[in-house]
Amino acid sequence: MSHVTRRSPQKATRPTLLRGTVLFPVSVLLIYGILFTVLPDKTWLALKGSVAVFWRLLLPLGLVFVVMVAFNLFVKPGQIVRFFGKDAGVKGITLSLVAGIISTGPIYAWYPLLAEVRERGGGNVPIAVFLYNRAVKPFLLPVMIAYFGWAYVGTLTFFTMLASIGIGYLLSFLIKGNR
Amino acid sequence: MRIAIAAEGSDFGASVAHRFGMSPYLVIVDLHTGDFEAVTSPGAGKRGAGMQAVVLALSKGVEAVLAGYCSPVARRHLSANGIEVVSGVTGTVGEAFEKYKRGDFQRSLESESHPTWDGTEAKPVTFTRALRNSLRQFTALFPVMISVVLLVGLLNTFVSKSILVSILSGNAVLDALWGACFGSVFAGNPINSYIIGGQLLANGISLFAVTALIVTWVTVGVVQLPAEMAALGKRFALLRNAICFVAALPISLLTVAVFNLIAG
Repeated sequence: MSHVTRRSPQKATRPTLLRGTVLFPVSVLLIYGILFTVLPDKTWLALKGSVAVFWRLLLPLGLVFVVMVAFNLFVKPGQIVRFFGKDAGVKGITLSLVAGIISTGPIYAWYPLLAEVRERGGGNVPIAVFLYNRAVKPFLLPVMIAYFGWAYVGTLTFFTMLASIGIGYLLSFLIKGNR
Repeated sequence: MRIAIAAEGSDFGASVAHRFGMSPYLVIVDLHTGDFEAVTSPGAGKRGAGMQAVVLALSKGVEAVLAGYCSPVARRHLSANGIEVVSGVTGTVGEAFEKYKRGDFQRSLESESHPTWDGTEAKPVTFTRALRNSLRQFTALFPVMISVVLLVGLLNTFVSKSILVSILSGNAVLDALWGACFGSVFAGNPINSYIIGGQLLANGISLFAVTALIVTWVTVGVVQLPAEMAALGKRFALLRNAICFVAALPISLLTVAVFNLIAG
């Protein structure tokens, strides 16, 4: 079997990603650098405050890592494609809701796939439900709970999932109405 | 059982295409009846063609894919969904079909190793691989998250609580509106919205505003709007973002009201 040399998609997008992840931290460091020269005492206080916030985050972040490993072990990206509901019935919506919750990675990576799913018969409702439920991130729950508590996180998650269905149908209705 | 053969044409006489993702057609054949349909490959010649061909194969419910070459990424997705991948196939579609039926191909299943684009081996997900992937995702998350924590430190020190509270009116709807505006403009990993929201809450900002911020952080994306419009259409993207923005207000009001009831 002959191998065809091709450019890696990861390599192609790496410079853009690098710019995005480097620019913001460098800007923050610059602000700190400038403030340290102008107001050293107050900036030192700010740095100490940041360290305190970071310590508070350590335990939830450890839990985030554990859940992340479990997700990477048991959830395969390809399975999400099959998981995706094509119709606006109960099963289709439920599958899209679950697919949105378990999907990971930046949203940009999902757009081509969603476009394809729609071309292959996936309606607007499942796509909108999928996109909205990306707000529910099970592996980030430890951090969210550390800040806001179980009751709040549970309530918000419930309303987010519920709203996703309403938004999906409303969007579908409005798009059809405009045609 | 149905199989998909990457093809240069739409019938049994067409040559088997060299590359799965780039092939103009996928010929879907029923192994038992010999009935077939030729489907135009969605992404031939485009970026992301392999993934689009994977979605097509999945939607057609095939159990095997035959092609001259199948990229490691496409192969991994197909294998993960239980689809057998047979590469190194030459000749016509008809010949490939007959050979497969007779079991003449040396079949490459998920358990075999396959070279990836950088020459490393694509392996099934093991604990070590999951650990390595998680470490990569985790370290990718860190630079921006640490920067957000550093900004929170600055916010706490340089901006007094009274200034923050004075920006927001104390009116639940207006506070939620401000939070939604803030969350819509920013994007990125939601963990950053939790950190910012948590600190704003500690500084006396209302839970209505914080909830709207968290909700819109992921569901509304001003920054990624052009990408969404390109992929899913202008009308869909604009309407979806507008509805999600408006919906953030009742969601935050309801969430806080119910939470207050639960918390007493």
